[in-house]
Amino acid sequence: MTQDLVIRFSEEGDEKYLIEWLLEPGVLRWFPLCDVREVEDAARIWMSYAKVKGALTAVYNGIPCGTATLYINSYKKLSHQSLFAIIVNTESRGKGVGTKLLSELIALAKERFQLELLHLEVYDGNPAIHLYRRFGFKEYGFERHFAKEGNGEYLGKIMMEKNLLE
Amino acid sequence: MTFSTDFDIRFSEEADLPWLEKWFAEEGACDDFPFGEDEKAQALKNWIGFSRFKASLTGTWKGEPCAIGTLFLMPYRKVAHHASFYLIVAPEVRNKGAGTSMVRNLLNLAKTQFRLESIHVELYEPSHLLPILEKLSFKLFARQENFVHQNEMKRARLLLEYFFS
Repeated sequence: MTQDLVIRFSEEGDEKYLIEWLLEPGVLRWFPLCDVREVEDAARIWMSYAKVKGALTAVYNGIPCGTATLYINSYKKLSHQSLFAIIVNTESRGKGVGTKLLSELIALAKERFQLELLHLEVYDGNPAIHLYRRFGFKEYGFERHFAKEGNGEYLGKIMMEKNLLE
Repeated sequence: MTFSTDFDIRFSEEADLPWLEKWFAEEGACDDFPFGEDEKAQALKNWIGFSRFKASLTGTWKGEPCAIGTLFLMPYRKVAHHASFYLIVAPEVRNKGAGTSMVRNLLNLAKTQFRLESIHVELYEPSHLLPILEKLSFKLFARQENFVHQNEMKRARLLLEYFFS
């Protein structure tokens, strides 16, 4: 699949795909969102970074199948580092899309934004943590009761970072 | 006459903005916050904006504002059981117990008014607020080196939390 996979800068029109992927069954378990209103709000913020070319979209056979964004800091003293987020649609998982997206996102962070530090937040139990570890992200914090599901269950948030200067 | 005799706490109002602006006019006041000198105007407006939700407290001394502490409520339901806060104390009343009193009252506001389960704080090391938070049983749950680049200095970010039992 990766041979036919193209990574391009995200565009405004990609927001609808992101909303669709977030609303796929089971996906919101790994995000702090619980309904369409919250998903639309988060997707709008996510895709707002497309304007500064901080977001990438993976396209397979002309159809978007994943996206990743750098939440570029507008405050100067924090502008050497960035939080990021990534999502791959359910049917494209396990085919190298996440690997290619993350690889290109790291290159974008280094080359276009001269970032020194990338960090992420992932829920405890999310299989995506294996991808992050493979790329050299290290844990620096854990928030035990970060998200509270409707049934009262708590999900912890693992915080990971990668020094891009190493 | 002690400091506490003339110290009082009320809900903040948007009209308190000029006090925030005055305290942040002091050199170095932005150092412990993510925004800098050129960015503070909008940041302070956003800050005092939480007074609309009754999530902000103003400490007064002899009837004049001397501190503002504000809960930043979370916008999404799954994370609405916790919040973070900002606090600033006017230079002339520091080291008199105003900071501790403000944090205690913010915790009470969070628990009783908003029924929160925990409170988070983000600090940059070194921080004057850290001893107060440690005294109040806040616990560190994350430490990130080189989070802030300020002039030639690189500072770690500390994340602390307080759980209501």
